[in-house]
Amino acid sequence: MGRRFLDRFLRPVLMRLVQPLLVALIVGALGFALMAVLPGDQAFRLAAARYGPDMGDAAAAALVRQELGLDRPWAVQFLDWVGRLVRLDLGHSLVTGEPVLQELTMQLGYTLALAGVALPLSALLGLPLGLLAGLQPGGPVDRIMLGLSVLLRAVPAYALGLCLVTVFSIHFGWLPPAGFEGWREFVLPALTLALGLAALSARVARDSVAVVAASPFMAFARWKGLPERAVVLRHGLRNAAIPVIALLGLQLVGLVEGLVIVESLFSWPGIGHALVHAIFARDVPVVQGTALALGLIFVLVNALVDLACALIDPRRARAET
Amino acid sequence: MNAVLTFVGLQVTSADGTALVRGVDAEARPGQPLTLLGETGSGKSLVLAAAMGSLAPGLRARGRVMLDRTEMLSATHSARRALWGRRLATLPQEPWLALDPTMRALGQVAEVYRLVRGMPAAASELEARARLAELGLGASAAHYPFQLSGGMAQRLALAILRASETPVLLADEPTKGLDADRRDEAGARLRAEADRGHTVVCVTHDVAIARALGGEVAVMLEGRVVERGPAETVLQHPSHGYTRRLLEAEPARWPALPPRPAPRREVAVAAEGVRRSFGRRLVLRGIDLCVLRGEIVAVTGPSGCGKTTLGDVLLGLLRPDAGVVRRLSGVAPWRFGKLYQDPPSAFAPHQTMRQALRDVARRHGLSWAAIAALLERLRLGPLLLDRRPEALSGGELQRFALARVLALDPVFLFADEPTSRLDPITQGEVSTLLGELAAERGLAVLLVTHDAALAAKLADRVVQLRPCGAEC
Amino acid sequence: MRTLAPGRRLGLLLIVSLLGFGLLGPWLAGTDPAHQILAHSLAPPGADYWLGADHLGRSMLARLAHATRLSLMLAAVTVASAAIPGTLLGILAAWRGGWVEGGLVLVADAVLALPGLLLVLLLAAFAPGEFLPLYLGLALAGWVEYFRVARAMASGLLARPHVEAARLLGFGPGYVLWRLLLPGLLPTLGVLAAFGLGSAVLAISTLSFIGLGIHPPTAELGSMTTELLPYAYEAPLTVLMPAALVFMAVLGCHLLAGRGRA
Repeated sequence: MGRRFLDRFLRPVLMRLVQPLLVALIVGALGFALMAVLPGDQAFRLAAARYGPDMGDAAAAALVRQELGLDRPWAVQFLDWVGRLVRLDLGHSLVTGEPVLQELTMQLGYTLALAGVALPLSALLGLPLGLLAGLQPGGPVDRIMLGLSVLLRAVPAYALGLCLVTVFSIHFGWLPPAGFEGWREFVLPALTLALGLAALSARVARDSVAVVAASPFMAFARWKGLPERAVVLRHGLRNAAIPVIALLGLQLVGLVEGLVIVESLFSWPGIGHALVHAIFARDVPVVQGTALALGLIFVLVNALVDLACALIDPRRARAET
Repeated sequence: MNAVLTFVGLQVTSADGTALVRGVDAEARPGQPLTLLGETGSGKSLVLAAAMGSLAPGLRARGRVMLDRTEMLSATHSARRALWGRRLATLPQEPWLALDPTMRALGQVAEVYRLVRGMPAAASELEARARLAELGLGASAAHYPFQLSGGMAQRLALAILRASETPVLLADEPTKGLDADRRDEAGARLRAEADRGHTVVCVTHDVAIARALGGEVAVMLEGRVVERGPAETVLQHPSHGYTRRLLEAEPARWPALPPRPAPRREVAVAAEGVRRSFGRRLVLRGIDLCVLRGEIVAVTGPSGCGKTTLGDVLLGLLRPDAGVVRRLSGVAPWRFGKLYQDPPSAFAPHQTMRQALRDVARRHGLSWAAIAALLERLRLGPLLLDRRPEALSGGELQRFALARVLALDPVFLFADEPTSRLDPITQGEVSTLLGELAAERGLAVLLVTHDAALAAKLADRVVQLRPCGAEC
Repeated sequence: MRTLAPGRRLGLLLIVSLLGFGLLGPWLAGTDPAHQILAHSLAPPGADYWLGADHLGRSMLARLAHATRLSLMLAAVTVASAAIPGTLLGILAAWRGGWVEGGLVLVADAVLALPGLLLVLLLAAFAPGEFLPLYLGLALAGWVEYFRVARAMASGLLARPHVEAARLLGFGPGYVLWRLLLPGLLPTLGVLAAFGLGSAVLAISTLSFIGLGIHPPTAELGSMTTELLPYAYEAPLTVLMPAALVFMAVLGCHLLAGRGRA
């Protein structure tokens, strides 16, 4: 009883509300700790970031120290730090001195554009193949698809990207290997990202279609006398879509990871690339801002996926197995 | 809407040439249902699939299946499919799996009117509501299948078939997976369809369904019809040995059990004023009950009346909210045992029977010889010992469960519908064994069952539980 | 031990051969992976260097073998550190229920709020190029999966009649845990761990490739690719080798896990 209540009702509702705060808390705590372990005086660093490297003298540092209350107990400072994070006051980059929020909005656009191309592309590549394979489990399409999916999922994303660059940019010279001027620059990063995601979605679509196609409710729908079109559209599609949509949540983890890798590989000016660069440069405010942005996108889209699942599947309030 | 369905020399062979159905001749007419009676693997479901034209790929049917003047076996797939939902329809096995889990009850009925019979949307919905109301599902129109009980799901499937009004209705194991007290209902409902002028063909292993349905009965064994005739004749005066065995397995027909000695005047367990509720639902309201050693007390009543709860309270698995449970004093707790309804779930799936029994022997310092003697008494051969639950039949598992409990020399046994999942012949064997053992060992037995005939046959006393309350 | 399906056997074979390569390779190469002979820069495979030499004239065989061993070992330690606590906590949650379960579930959900790689990256930021943050991050992000699966399965098993039957037969919690629960959980957890191993190998090499994992001069499959990339024209085969090994290791893990999980 208690467990069902916990799983069915309390947890999903509570978590949806708490998760963004949790993300802010975790990212904030790690960012705060990172700032504290950086060598040198924090006030100097922040002053340099704010007023430019030439102006980072003792007076400026004292001003910053007083303004940010860096002499207060660390617990108070931490709460203050997280509080500012929750209000989306992300501070300034230690490297460029620009406000992090401003940089983020620009990078976010690039990242969303890349994801916006890659996700539909992966659906276009993976779902039809999975559908065909699932209609004839054990058939030739199924076996080829299974082999491809297993092989593709074992290739590291960076190696896949490098292969594509080698073939399409270096060998054939069709597409630019990096940059972000026009649609041609989209092709290789998006394809790298999409292939990895498609390998998984094809498998899930295949299993889901195979299960639904063999299910007694599809047989009964035919026995009722419904025309095949109605059988597939009214009964097959929705039931087969449930696991595929639930998978989107899982895909999201892959998408965020893939974005970091692919953006770094192709020097794509998005959030993932910025995060990796900021870690190199130990630019804590940027690390924190980009991680927060990626985390919040993740939470938001996850919530949307759950909502979609609950809408088409009356059996569960959320996508939980 | 009259239609006659005739089977002439129907044979079904698998891809490798094995004969699965070896010649079936039978006929069903309006108001004259046909029942194919037989156990799992007798090929009876294949006969239905052949009639419907839904045999699994690789299976081949020969002979003739005539729907009036149409020969079904030689018809093309699309020609046969054109008959589905118009001339003939199938009530699926386990209807709760055959309903679209993501569509409301009303929609699943209404789409037949709209898409098969071409009625406008509003009229379809009106008709669908009427069909649901007819079958007592008026309040469930907006429910999804997972919100329905097994019996309700079957009625919904029937409402869907009524919507298509096909003259021929095929029913595949209509009682499979239903609670025992829903079985009679399912039989009566099929009979009602026959009385409405439908041609009903029913495949079942349940003699009670065949009796309820009437009409013609064909008894199937290993792909053959071994006996065929009007239900009254076949079920009253069987001529084939197999039919006789099938009928004798019904509790009402069991030969009288050997008389047992009177129970000892020693109370094994007793409940006094026991109340128990789950959440807000009161399940047991002030139960008084005692079971003497050597006595079998049967508890019957509809689903949800608290039969299992009562047993679990007596065993100490559940705490009563109020009242007292007394158990024979000075007896170790493990000498109060339980038999489960679903025998495979009572054993760890990864353990062989030998491992399970050896663990029991080790835990309680028993010799293997004592257990071996018990196994022999229960007619469990040593070859079965090295199998896992998945490789044993329900009857064998239930006897292993009995051996496991008996090894600890129990004083009380709570048998929770121990035979309801067993096929009829095994059911008789296990029940008889239980009766004998209670007498031999002075065992107090609380037998929970849906089957009034079984209770009357086996028990010294029958206690009728009503939902929320008891009558001793 | 029941027989393995052919695909899983192939996976096991791949992993065992890679492990053999990692253990025996350094001995076969007979040279230190850091030993440079600049004159032999990018030497093709031959009698001296069975798998050729890299841009600094180091033996590829020695470097690849070291890197393979490093990857597999680090991945195995990571998976063990995630799987064992995760499983035990999952069983604990299912067993005790109540606030113990509620608390553990809350912590697990909190970890799930962030994609795993993000957690690893944030920890890696503390000390880029070192083992500890990488290991901690992967284990910290990984235990949740084992926890959730173990909790769900253990709840299911504990509610089954055979557990109740065992209690009625006088068996204690130890028996239920060791003889009934764990054997029931192990096959699924094994599949999970095989997948986890593949993911860990992939994550380690990927992070090293973008410079946030293990840094040169330590031989690591991902960072070797980065190092060798500029010489892709001169020695394409040499550049391919480290990535090919990652591919084989991940493929082996996935095959070993079987097709039970998508």
